[in-house]
Amino acid sequence: MFTYLASTFDPGLLWEYRETLLQGLQQNLIIFFQSAVLAVLLAFVVGNARASRSRPVRWMAICYSEFFRNTPEYVLLVWIYFVVPLIISKMIGSRAGFSPHVAAVLGLGVAYSGFLSETVRAGLRSVPLGHAEAATALGLSPFATFRRIVLPQAIRRMLPEATNQMISLFKSTTIVSLISVHDILYQVSVISSSEMRPIPLYTGVALLYCLIIILATYLLNRLTDRWRRRGWA
Amino acid sequence: MLDNFNRLVLANIGMLLDGLGVTLYICFCAFALSIVLGMLACMVRMWVPQLRFVAIAYIEFCRATPILVQLLWVNYVWPDLFGFPETAMQAGILALALQSSGYLAETFRAGFEGLPKGQREAALAVGLSRWRIVTRIEAPQALLVVAPLMINQLAVVVKSSTLVSVISNPDLMYQALKIVNQWYEPIEVLTVVALTYFIVLFSLSSIANHFYVRFQTKYGLAAGT
Amino acid sequence: MSAIIETRDLRKSFGAVEVLRGISLSVAQGTVVSLIGASGSGKSTFLRCLNYLEQPTSGAIIIDGDVLEATPASNARQDRKTITRIRTKLGMVFQQFNLWPHMTVLQNVTEALTQVKRTPAKEAAEIARHFLQKVNLIAKQDAYPSRLSGGQQQRVAIARALAMQPKVMLFDEATSSLDPELTGEVLQVMRDLAQDGMTMLVVTHEMGFARDASDRVLFLHEGRIEEDGTAAQVFGAPNSERCQRFIASSLK
Repeated sequence: MFTYLASTFDPGLLWEYRETLLQGLQQNLIIFFQSAVLAVLLAFVVGNARASRSRPVRWMAICYSEFFRNTPEYVLLVWIYFVVPLIISKMIGSRAGFSPHVAAVLGLGVAYSGFLSETVRAGLRSVPLGHAEAATALGLSPFATFRRIVLPQAIRRMLPEATNQMISLFKSTTIVSLISVHDILYQVSVISSSEMRPIPLYTGVALLYCLIIILATYLLNRLTDRWRRRGWA
Repeated sequence: MLDNFNRLVLANIGMLLDGLGVTLYICFCAFALSIVLGMLACMVRMWVPQLRFVAIAYIEFCRATPILVQLLWVNYVWPDLFGFPETAMQAGILALALQSSGYLAETFRAGFEGLPKGQREAALAVGLSRWRIVTRIEAPQALLVVAPLMINQLAVVVKSSTLVSVISNPDLMYQALKIVNQWYEPIEVLTVVALTYFIVLFSLSSIANHFYVRFQTKYGLAAGT
Repeated sequence: MSAIIETRDLRKSFGAVEVLRGISLSVAQGTVVSLIGASGSGKSTFLRCLNYLEQPTSGAIIIDGDVLEATPASNARQDRKTITRIRTKLGMVFQQFNLWPHMTVLQNVTEALTQVKRTPAKEAAEIARHFLQKVNLIAKQDAYPSRLSGGQQQRVAIARALAMQPKVMLFDEATSSLDPELTGEVLQVMRDLAQDGMTMLVVTHEMGFARDASDRVLFLHEGRIEEDGTAAQVFGAPNSERCQRFIASSLK
């Protein structure tokens, strides 16, 4: 039994392909960071638009965040990869296309900007109006009020939820393998079909992710706790 | 455009509806199973100190592993190790249920542990037994807190279910991609499918929100009385 | 008159901190006792020990003939029955009301009747209505607690405790979390109860109530009874200097 288990799990296979696998993981990390930046930027635009005085702007922002929050990431990814280039081609009248990498970043970026815009909005709303009024009364400009009074407090409220979102974003990067970005899961499926030994590879990658996510969650929570204790987040 | 719509979507509407049926079936089974597993994990974690560690490991593993990884793991690894699942459908249901049960276990726990301490004390003070306190005072309140969150979790299951197409379950996504690969005209089909998912998910989150607001105003659960 | 509540050298520690340092007390039936003292003096803990919401570290509690000795090995199974019996004899009213939000006002009151006393539902509802009438809230019997003001919630909580027809009522700062304008209605219900001859132990910051409505006043300090006498004695000429100072500062 034990030898059977040892032979089926065989970590040697993982070690043999360590370079390919790590290159795959690197792809995941790159896509994660790029789409995270995109998501945060869009989320701040949309989150602010939801607090806008203009009704149409508010409505557009609501539609945006509801649509992207309520559409599966895989569907979005495929849609952006297949459909958006065609629409663009038709509009500009010549062939256009995305690399899988660009489609992955765009898809995950807009998908998570939907979630994050809610977080941003809740964070902005949690700052008492009186704080901004106090700043205005002291003569701070609207921009300075936002940047120095509202934003720091809002970010502090957003942090725990935003951390969760970032962690799910990282987990979601696995689906880019499905539009043949050469990420870790893509490499695993290629290797396991050539080696015909799925057990160690899939188990290994499951445990690896488990480890990364738990570690990242722990570290991020400690980091945000420390920021909070220092009082600047 | 309309022509394409007729040719691609309406002509294949049977396939797409079959796919939707499979999606709903898989989601329903997975969600039901995940409630059972999640409840079990939650109860073990709260009330069985000897096995607490096992429950935590289970919950953390389920939550920390990406759903696609879990899906492939269950589909390719489990049959050799445990002799099941026997079909792709079972694998899909199982993987979705695993993932969801980890989240539900934590949701249930938060529902129980978030109740104000005074609720239990007031029940003790009039002499209610421990069992009655759980079944009549704590569980019903926990359920009111947890029900909207559970509907949201169902929405997550539906979202994740798009991935079961990867191990060739004939769900909505699978049928859509099949049509796309047949005709190389993705715009109409994929848009219709995206909108279908959106409608299902948006309805679910609206229902969840409706219940949340209703329970808050009717019972004032946030007030902590 | 026979004692309905008696404690002998009751002690309670939380970790290394001893909150109750030996309280021996005997309360005759029909007496209204107010417990006063600074926060942290142990008065709430004492009340919570009486019905075992907190388990005393040592000492004994005798309630209407039921004896509970707190020993390190106690709270075993045989004690459970006694504890439940004692709890049904003691009605408790909490600072935070602790109404069950998922039940209507009427259900809050009938719950223990049907579940603990096994009263048939119909009869339980009648009893409940009787006591809701008494606290003047019969009109709200089908409302959920979230729809009531704090004062109304607290009156329902009193009805809930009274419905079990307890021998003694314990009030743990029943008015402390109410807005000042709402304390009056709750205090009035308490005064009426006292008038009816209910035995009451009242932990309170309401010096007016302690002075006018109680037969006996206890001043607790650091887990001990520092002053014990009639309201007139304790408020008029307390022996202890600490008690004197406490009363002077509270009456300001």
